[in-house]
Amino acid sequence: MADAATRMPPQFELRFLMTQGAFTVAADLEIAARAIALFGPSGSGKTTILEVIAGLRSPKQGRITVCGRILCDTDTHTNVPVRDRHVGYVPQDVLLFPHLDVRRNVTYAQPRRRHIDMPDLDQLLGLTTLMDRKVSGLSGGERQRVALARALYSGPDVLLLDEPLAAVDLARRRLILDTLVAIRDELRVPLVYVTHSPEEARAIADYAIVLDEGNVIAAGVPDDVLP
Amino acid sequence: MPTEILDIAVFTTLAALVATIVMLPPGIGLAWVLARHQFRGKAIVETLASLPLVMPPVATGLMLLWLVGRRGPVGRALAPFGIEIVFTPAAVVLAMAIMGLPLLVRTARAGFEQVTKRYEQMAETLGARPWRVFTTVTLPLASRNILAGALLGFTRALGEFGATIVVAGSIPGRTRTLAVGIYTYTETGQDARAASLLAVSVTLAFGAALIANRLARVD
Amino acid sequence: MLRWWATFALVIATVVPLPAQRPEVLVSAAASLADVMGTIARIYEMRTGTRVVVNTGASNTLARQIAAGAAVDLFISADEAQMGTVRDEVVANTTVDLLSNQLAVVVPADRPRTLRSARELTDAAFRRVAIGDPAAVPAGVYAKAYLQQLGIWPAVSGKIVPTASVRLALAAVENGAADAAIVYRTDLDAAHRTSLALAIPLAEGPRIIYPAAVIRSGRNREGATRLLAWLRGTEAAGIFKGAGFIPLGQ
Repeated sequence: MADAATRMPPQFELRFLMTQGAFTVAADLEIAARAIALFGPSGSGKTTILEVIAGLRSPKQGRITVCGRILCDTDTHTNVPVRDRHVGYVPQDVLLFPHLDVRRNVTYAQPRRRHIDMPDLDQLLGLTTLMDRKVSGLSGGERQRVALARALYSGPDVLLLDEPLAAVDLARRRLILDTLVAIRDELRVPLVYVTHSPEEARAIADYAIVLDEGNVIAAGVPDDVLP
Repeated sequence: MPTEILDIAVFTTLAALVATIVMLPPGIGLAWVLARHQFRGKAIVETLASLPLVMPPVATGLMLLWLVGRRGPVGRALAPFGIEIVFTPAAVVLAMAIMGLPLLVRTARAGFEQVTKRYEQMAETLGARPWRVFTTVTLPLASRNILAGALLGFTRALGEFGATIVVAGSIPGRTRTLAVGIYTYTETGQDARAASLLAVSVTLAFGAALIANRLARVD
Repeated sequence: MLRWWATFALVIATVVPLPAQRPEVLVSAAASLADVMGTIARIYEMRTGTRVVVNTGASNTLARQIAAGAAVDLFISADEAQMGTVRDEVVANTTVDLLSNQLAVVVPADRPRTLRSARELTDAAFRRVAIGDPAAVPAGVYAKAYLQQLGIWPAVSGKIVPTASVRLALAAVENGAADAAIVYRTDLDAAHRTSLALAIPLAEGPRIIYPAAVIRSGRNREGATRLLAWLRGTEAAGIFKGAGFIPLGQ
């Protein structure tokens, strides 16, 4: 959890080996950053890494630490269940609950503590007009904002975003990007951001991991490692 | 006697309703376990759950009779409390529930299998414990199928005969359902009464089928 | 949520059995007695205030229920074989031969004829003869016994159609699926499109016995004993005779 009293950036430890069939994803990194970009072509393992952090997949071997908290350690047989990991996950297909309206989706989580109150969340993401609408009628950008709100409402230690701008039309992308920066800087919620766009990665992250076919081929300051 | 016909009709409908309510918790639970979990002996559980569907109803009735009769395991356990099941309306409800259960389980299971696990996972990431995930995400998303299954179970209960007559008997005013009544009256040559009950049965079945279709179309 | 459970509990309470309040006697009676037992029950209750609850069905089903420990007070079976199967459940020395019945040959009402003897069933005009299944239905057992007694069983067995119950044997004749059926004389009143071809004289026919006995696992043994005594008395005899049965009591 980002400690407001300290100026140190959040600590991440991603050391693991995960296999699925013939496909292996391996990482061995210790990172201190406010926003990490996972960059690479499709199928390179970016989503898998998010899922491992969220606990939806378990590595065969390894250790995951987020903001100083151990989520998984195969050596000590530690595996924090998904519901206790305090991650805010926004997958590519967003997965808003189809049977609940926007309000119930956003307020689904029953968090122990909250980074942000509803009125401020409203303002940050422009939700007021959307609150009573059905999920089925929303545009791509609106769905993204609702999903972000839902994830933030749960008071997560980290936000995991899988290509958040992919379903948003060009005109609105800037808006969402700015909102994410605000979340990173003002709310101090660290981001792990999956993208195949170097511009997005540069805009949001202070650390980038470049993946290719499951392997980390480069990691470091975005300007250094990104094309 | 019109009042007798009405009594039988009301009793049968009420018993079928109670039977449907009774079969819902175990039916939904079983359907969920079968849809989501793998375990040793799963095939056996699936077969057991289908048995009342494939066995002759009379055979099921005989098994129930053995089970809840005063000599049987369940009957013996209940006897000290003065609870007897055979020949009571409870036996009618029991027979109806057992016969309707497999239909509910099948339909509900298909419903759960359709609900993508990813919604449940999303709920987990938002901190929901298993019971909350089940009641706020899984169940609502499978609700249409569960309702269809319950309706199927209800209609099956309405028409249930073979197991009922064995474990509940045919006692006027106490355990005589529409189906059992039709059989008994036919057997004793009281064709006029049998015909009245038949007419009521057909009407009820028609109504139930109509509602089922409406529900299916609201898709 | 709480309201749901309350309603549920209420509905369950209406169907869950509670111990009976008034004295009552539970009688399991063979299906052919269903109608007459209804009358008996009404009159007995008027006379004595004791309620008689009648459970009817096929004798073998009734016997099975008793064997499983069902709390039946009195059992009236359609033959001695079924009563025999529950021998262990019967209170000693309470079995009596309560009623008898008469066999009858019936034919379709649109082709009436009279037979002087059941031997005429060997005639080619009778292509199919329906009787209750001799393996399970008492009326069928009696019918077969009679045909064997006459010595014509080998000749007619090829045209015998065993039915699941006597009523279905009657139905077979009513709709023309069978040319004749052997049923109880008492079944004729219910049959609409059949006519009596021959009533088997009692002296000739098989000994049809409806035994009655008090059952051990019943709740009201005293009530059962009193009812049985009444069933063997004059008033009950009159009711049974009126329905076509032959009372055997003292």
